[in-house]
Amino acid sequence: MVIYLRSGGKLRDRLKPDVDIYTRKVEVEGTPTLEEILEEIGIPDGLVAFAFADGKVRRLNYRPVEGDVVTLQPPVSGG
Amino acid sequence: MDGFGGTTLRINLSTEEIERTPTDPEFARSWLGARGFVSKILYDEVPRDADPLGVDNLFIVTTGVLTGSFCPVGSKVGFGCISPATNGHADSSMGGHLGPELRYAGYDLIVMEGIAAGPTYLYIDDDTIELRPAGDYWGMGSLELEKRMKKDLGDDFQIATIGPSGENGIVFSCITHDFGRQAGRCGVGAVMGSKKLKAIAVRGTKSLPVHDLDSMYKLTYDIIQRTKTHPNMAPWQKYGTAFFVGWSNERGCFPTKNFQETYHKDWEKIDGERLVEDCLVSDKACFGCWMNCGKYTRARIPGKPDTYQEGPEYETIALVGGSCAFTDINHVAYANHLLDDIGMDTMSGGSTVAFAMECYQRGIITKDDLEGHELRWGNIDDFEHFVRMIAARRGIGDIFARGTKGAAEALGRGTIDFASQAKGMEFSGYDTRWYPAQLLSYCTCDIGAHHSKSWTITTDIELGRDTIEGKAEVVIYLQHIRPLFDTWSCCRLFWGELDVTPEEHVDSIKHLTGWDVTLEECMRVSERVWNLNRAHFIERNGGPGRKFDVAPARHLDEPIPGGPAEGKVVGRENFEAMLDDYYANRGWDEDGNPTREILDDLGIGYAADNLEKLGFLGKPIPGGIPKVRGRELKPKAM
Repeated sequence: MVIYLRSGGKLRDRLKPDVDIYTRKVEVEGTPTLEEILEEIGIPDGLVAFAFADGKVRRLNYRPVEGDVVTLQPPVSGG
Repeated sequence: MDGFGGTTLRINLSTEEIERTPTDPEFARSWLGARGFVSKILYDEVPRDADPLGVDNLFIVTTGVLTGSFCPVGSKVGFGCISPATNGHADSSMGGHLGPELRYAGYDLIVMEGIAAGPTYLYIDDDTIELRPAGDYWGMGSLELEKRMKKDLGDDFQIATIGPSGENGIVFSCITHDFGRQAGRCGVGAVMGSKKLKAIAVRGTKSLPVHDLDSMYKLTYDIIQRTKTHPNMAPWQKYGTAFFVGWSNERGCFPTKNFQETYHKDWEKIDGERLVEDCLVSDKACFGCWMNCGKYTRARIPGKPDTYQEGPEYETIALVGGSCAFTDINHVAYANHLLDDIGMDTMSGGSTVAFAMECYQRGIITKDDLEGHELRWGNIDDFEHFVRMIAARRGIGDIFARGTKGAAEALGRGTIDFASQAKGMEFSGYDTRWYPAQLLSYCTCDIGAHHSKSWTITTDIELGRDTIEGKAEVVIYLQHIRPLFDTWSCCRLFWGELDVTPEEHVDSIKHLTGWDVTLEECMRVSERVWNLNRAHFIERNGGPGRKFDVAPARHLDEPIPGGPAEGKVVGRENFEAMLDDYYANRGWDEDGNPTREILDDLGIGYAADNLEKLGFLGKPIPGGIPKVRGRELKPKAM
């Protein structure tokens, strides 16, 4: 299954985009959670605040489906 | 003078004299604006024994070099004074529209001294400047007053107000503008109140002279186009900062029950998702911003009137919601409105109530102290009653009006151990027991504990939460780069989230002003400000500096009782080792006193002379000071 992970900010260096400057194509086997996918590609889950796919917030237990474009939101202080 | 309004105002509130002088180009270049201006003026002009709420303190309203420009996003305005919470340099900023309006009226900086004879507001309509009576406004809530003044003066005036809290000198009083933007920290609202200044109203219809308009336009246009399609923009627009509650909770740093715990089991009931689903009315943006991260909301609680407010944002959810153990986002939003209207910083206000709740839990204060009320975790009625006791300084409210440190000193009985504060200002919304760099950040911060100057939760994750190695250098770097945005007076979020680089901000400054400025020069200004503030703090409070870089016992000794960070604690030995490392990397001696070499290097040798006279000049460091102070962490640390 192929999904696309996107991010900027502090996550972009770790994500190593290969499709465009923000996007990395990731091939995964089975239906892993986002947390498992992040671990596989070497991004500590602590560096992702939440994910955003199809206009909705997704927590790290979300299981992407084929072709999903998942934005990873880095944590930031503020407010 | 390209890029500036051009005029500095000096106002003596006692004599009602108003002096206009051209803004000094050399001063502007040396200190860049807002936080930098405040640092230099306070150091030069406020007597060291001045009472923060007395006649000799100054109250400064200031823009920065980027205020009013379309560099993303020049919406900020800064306030400065000696803080009644810390007795040191205070600078606090807010977004909205006031800063740009001030610049469009032609003013870069307003320095106010003295105390008005009676309640007053400052009225600025381009070249017309008046001190007007505000007796009719005195006693009104901040939000209520802004609405009233818009009606009285016109919607096109930008207005900043204080509430009853500021009038009564509560040390964590804020200044409010745009129905929900606050200069919240350091007690700037209390100093404004001590001057009998209830509000500031500004209308500006001029423009900023731009040195190279074509280049400025092109750069800004490129940034807008790029950030509009940035992947992290849409989530920001939809959710703002409130969405970091779940992340913080899972990382074991979400303050719960006055930092007794760091995991809130009902977090989903007060998270950003609940806020958006239950309370959102509309998005809201500051001047010139296309992100709209502000959330205008309605709180509905049976038996209480609906309230409308901006927020709560993350810090309020953490320090009101988590720390007071609320389990309903409507209650958090209602509390946000209550604090905003009364004129209290939601961060220190929430923390002070949470601290009192723990005192109640332990039997240190009782119903007899609370006018027959209780002070239970998560109870909005108890919360509201106690906040009103503080605002009016009724009974024990007078003690808590001094903040957690002041209250703990009055209460005794070991309460200081669980007052999560540094130098008299309450921690931001992140527990530090698994985040040693964040503890170092709070305890060395020049304005008291505040994440805006150094936020290292992700740094601790990157470098390892169980180690202290390499943390001090990164804290120093962050203490220079992050406050630079407060000095430039622009929003930091475009850097943090949307990849607009500090170098692009510097390019904006070049196009605006014509200055041949570099990021290195700006970072050096920021370091100069940090060191001048340190010298100033020691000169006001005595030394050595190290004696003020103190962590609360809870964060040093008390392991986290449960949740993802169970058992974690920084420990005294680790904390002291981090301080040693921090001082060495700053070019300060082991007592935390700046050395002559570092102060001379930064062009503020006069501060070394003053420290020497007091006996608190740092001893020379064998081998000299480090050539580079601070280290940027890659991948990027915010």
